Amino acid sequence: MALLEIKNLHVSVGDREILKGINLSLNGGEVHAVMGPNGTGKSTLSNVIAGRAGYDVTQGEVLLDGKDVFAMAADERARAGIFLAFQYPVEIPGVSTSSFLKTAINAKRRAAGQKEIDAMEFLKLVKAKTKALGMADDMIKRPLNVGFSGGEKKRAEVLQMTLLEPRVAILDETDSGLDIDALKVVSDGVNALRREDRAFLVITHYQRLLDYIVPDHVHVLVNGRIAASGGKELALELEAEGYAKYQGAAA
Amino acid sequence: MAVTRETAATVRDIEQYKYGFVTDIESDMAPKGLNEDTIRFISAKKNEPDWMLESRLKAYRHWLTLADEEPTWAKLHYPKINYQDSYYYAAPKQAKLASLDEVDPKLLETYKKLGIPLLEQQMLAGVAVDAVFDSVSVATTYKKKLQEMGVIFSPISEAVHKHPDLVKKYLGSVVPYTDNFFATLNAAVFTDGSFVYIPKGLRCPMELSTYFRINEKNTGQFERTLIIADEGSYVSYLEGCTAPQRDENQLHAAVVELIALDDAEIKYSTVQNWFPGDADGKGGIYNFVTKRAACRGRNSKVMWTQVETGSAITWKYPSCILQGDNSSGEFYSVAITNNHQQADTGTKMIHLGKNTRSKIISKGISAGHADNTYRGLVRIGAKADGARNYTQCDSLLIGSTCGAHTVPYIETRNPTARTEHEATTSKISEDQLFYCMQRGMTQEEAVSLIVNGFCKEVLQTLPMEFAVEAQKLVGISLEGSVG
Amino acid sequence: MKRAPGLMDHPFGADYAQRTLAPADKHLAGFREQARAVFEPHGLPGPKNESWRFTPLRSLAKVPFIPADAADDVDVSAVPPGVVSLPGSARIVLVNGVYRRDLSDAIEGVEIFGLQGADRNLLGHLATAASAPLAALNASFMTGALALRVNGAVPATLHLISIAAAGNQPVAFHPRLLISLAPGASLTLVETHCGLPGQATFANPVTEITLGEDAHLRRYVQVAEQDDSFHLATTAVALAANSRMEGFHLGLGGALVRQEVNVVMRGTAAALELHGAYALGGHDHHDFTTSVNHHVPGCTSSQVFKGVVDGESHGVYQGRIHVARDAQKTDARQQHKALFLGRGPQIDCKPELEIYADDVQCAHGAATGEIDADHMFFLAARGIDPATARMLLVEAFLADAVERISDETVRAAFGRDIQGWLSRRNLKAAA
Repeated sequence: MALLEIKNLHVSVGDREILKGINLSLNGGEVHAVMGPNGTGKSTLSNVIAGRAGYDVTQGEVLLDGKDVFAMAADERARAGIFLAFQYPVEIPGVSTSSFLKTAINAKRRAAGQKEIDAMEFLKLVKAKTKALGMADDMIKRPLNVGFSGGEKKRAEVLQMTLLEPRVAILDETDSGLDIDALKVVSDGVNALRREDRAFLVITHYQRLLDYIVPDHVHVLVNGRIAASGGKELALELEAEGYAKYQGAAA
Repeated sequence: MAVTRETAATVRDIEQYKYGFVTDIESDMAPKGLNEDTIRFISAKKNEPDWMLESRLKAYRHWLTLADEEPTWAKLHYPKINYQDSYYYAAPKQAKLASLDEVDPKLLETYKKLGIPLLEQQMLAGVAVDAVFDSVSVATTYKKKLQEMGVIFSPISEAVHKHPDLVKKYLGSVVPYTDNFFATLNAAVFTDGSFVYIPKGLRCPMELSTYFRINEKNTGQFERTLIIADEGSYVSYLEGCTAPQRDENQLHAAVVELIALDDAEIKYSTVQNWFPGDADGKGGIYNFVTKRAACRGRNSKVMWTQVETGSAITWKYPSCILQGDNSSGEFYSVAITNNHQQADTGTKMIHLGKNTRSKIISKGISAGHADNTYRGLVRIGAKADGARNYTQCDSLLIGSTCGAHTVPYIETRNPTARTEHEATTSKISEDQLFYCMQRGMTQEEAVSLIVNGFCKEVLQTLPMEFAVEAQKLVGISLEGSVG
Repeated sequence: MKRAPGLMDHPFGADYAQRTLAPADKHLAGFREQARAVFEPHGLPGPKNESWRFTPLRSLAKVPFIPADAADDVDVSAVPPGVVSLPGSARIVLVNGVYRRDLSDAIEGVEIFGLQGADRNLLGHLATAASAPLAALNASFMTGALALRVNGAVPATLHLISIAAAGNQPVAFHPRLLISLAPGASLTLVETHCGLPGQATFANPVTEITLGEDAHLRRYVQVAEQDDSFHLATTAVALAANSRMEGFHLGLGGALVRQEVNVVMRGTAAALELHGAYALGGHDHHDFTTSVNHHVPGCTSSQVFKGVVDGESHGVYQGRIHVARDAQKTDARQQHKALFLGRGPQIDCKPELEIYADDVQCAHGAATGEIDADHMFFLAARGIDPATARMLLVEAFLADAVERISDETVRAAFGRDIQGWLSRRNLKAAA
């Protein structure tokens, strides 16, 4: 059984159909990249899997370990192991990054019947991980994402991913707004999390990110459909030739 | 957006008020209603000296002339209160106590349930508590220890006997009996409350705390608190309040007076959690409170922090009269209204002395069908050279069936003063909610976290012991408002 | 009629009513009658009236005004020379509220009526007697109305000049102006309210403005009354969908001036810009009172008011933003800042938000202070004398509001008025 199975997924926003029958199967240990031009439904795919409101699933299903994801609320999906690294991480004024992280960790622990994390243990854990991500010590004291630079925001996303240990991690345009140094740090963070029982869905417009997070499979999403799938060489081909060939074919 | 709107419309009728129990205890009551006999009854119960009774009667007679002067300017709607339909005195029957161990076990149990243990071996470390139950103080902890330092911390009824000079000098000196309808009523019928005197130069090492509990049905609570910080002293005072869950509205009309002399500082924190009424707006406390501080001395400082989550109606404007040069007043407020609660609260900062400073941080959160109003006055007198005021009022709306209002009055008579006022209105964004939930938090956890973030500037001014409680309370008060 | 207890004595009683010209028009007679029934029991608003707490009318109430139409010794044959001349504009001149065809121009694209030709439904439909005591006073004694109807785009700027003039006795007048813009119509209107030296005058105008869909009105009002004169103006505006209104109000003195503007959004995507500036000295009293009512979703409103006060003057800003339950996506903002130029004046400010919808952006800000000493020092270090420096800084302070006037000619003209006020003040200070 695949870790995450997307079957014939049709999604509309209002009267407009955005996704028109997506099939994807992610096994443990795999990194799948979904590439495509702007406005083709990449973000819709990640949002629907994570459970953002405002999308109508008209057909198809998404299964996590064989369980129907759409039967779960967004927070249940998260606790079941779906993690979305946001393209635009949200600012929450007044809530320190550390108390946000602790609340999230404890929500997961409670659901798993574990006791809440010890304060000292938490601090030690966070300190080690922030260091690895090259983040300043005082960052966790600052309100979450408020006044963070683009790079800081993405690092904070990877930090959360690291601490919450998801089964399936979805990276939505994580490379957007990053300079090359930040991109390296973020990619190293992600690569460190690659494991046999964890899958990644990397959504990106550019091939650049895939130099650092090397995918096992690449899918081309055009006009709401997977127009082509292949290995990592497909990404290089797209970089060289663009999406034009698929746009014509899919139309 | 869709989530908030749908769910706000179907506010869950959940039992969220944890303090709604009733203590079954026999009480000594005044006959129902209000007349001169009621006042004589109260005064006699407290064995008061004549001057005290006379001052009560004077207030009562003045109150009778105010029949048409019950304030109507606040953005509050409630049926006319029948002042004859209430009891003005209720006290648990018990003999004069020699020590805390003699307090009725039922009362001890009540306060224990409220998280305020009164017995010696269980007492909160570093916090001295005066426990007021309906109309009387039933226990005061750490009294002896405080006495040794020269601190007076006692029920005000006791202070009338033991420290008449201080009481005569200061009682009514900040809030005169003619001040307003509710203050006048309080001056006539007040039953108990706390009296604090901090001697010159002492930084009181303990937090002083009064815990108010209304228990009897149809009983009004009219407490009176008087705190005097003598030159160079410091005190941090906490106040908490709860009441049983009842279908009838009950009246609470307190008066609090603070006096800070030269270089003195008073920090006054309130966590108000009176019964707010049920989800349909039935029952709950009518909370009409006059709180005012006089910063009489040079460099004196008063800081009010309030977390208002309870009461069906809140009418409350803790204020500072900044008389002394360089004196300063601060007001930090979180007011949460849910279901059918209404709050009209804020502050008054009256700058009279030179280089006086004031700061107002108000966070109003409105959910359900509630209305939440910030009303504040900043007045800079002609002689207040160099005065400064900064005001920030933020409102958060949860759902679109509630209201959030901001009514500041800024009156400036001095060219060298500087005032600054900012106000914003916002809501919890769908993006914030989704972000938190994507990290595994339930909707309620997410709301609580976001709202606590919104209130942080205020909550962090609370003493540690209260801050944690207040944070939880913020979450609990909004349960059912989203989701 | 029963009078409320504690009612202020005032000159607008039965004698006054008797001296006012009785309207021949039956509709108007009935309208006046109804309004008097509202005004009489309450009279002039006192300090306990929340909307009038900062603007006491005791001084007004003491002046023995007679109705201007009963004064037979007023003679105005020309527009006073001080009134700004706006190139390319057409003039409408009112003397004591009465339209003077002999002093006015014809304007292409604007139909001008008396009450006879006007749409009767427009009279009192926005400024109801019940809503405000001064609108009730106006309705009680109005002798006619001037109605302007605009059907298309009017190229010329319309300059309405209202002159207050008394004879041997103080006079009061109660003009009513009805302005309606048809869908898609546009107009630039400048109003100059001034007075001639002499006995005190009291102007009590009420203006009702209706904008059709996509209509666009720019209205620039300047009030510069005589030192002993009174001017209490009420404007009520209704905005239809996609209509735009830009309002600017300049107040440069008068014993008691109030410019009250009430706007209601009736169609989505309506946009309001409402700004103002005041400069006061002596015993001037100036009050800006605004009420912006977002009744429908998706409208925007923005207000910036700035004032400087000197002498013993008194500046007031009261602004209320009301967002109704369904008015989601409202964006409403207001700001008031005042600068003290000396010891003696006072500023009262009450910006108010009343919000019943959650998905909105609403904010207000208010501040008072004096000229920044650092700024003064900087200018001194550049060799600029203190008087000039203060003038520059005050001008810059007010410019924040004045610059929002989109019509260049008017912006320049109002800017010159402010400069004029400042130089007069400096002369006084020097003398």
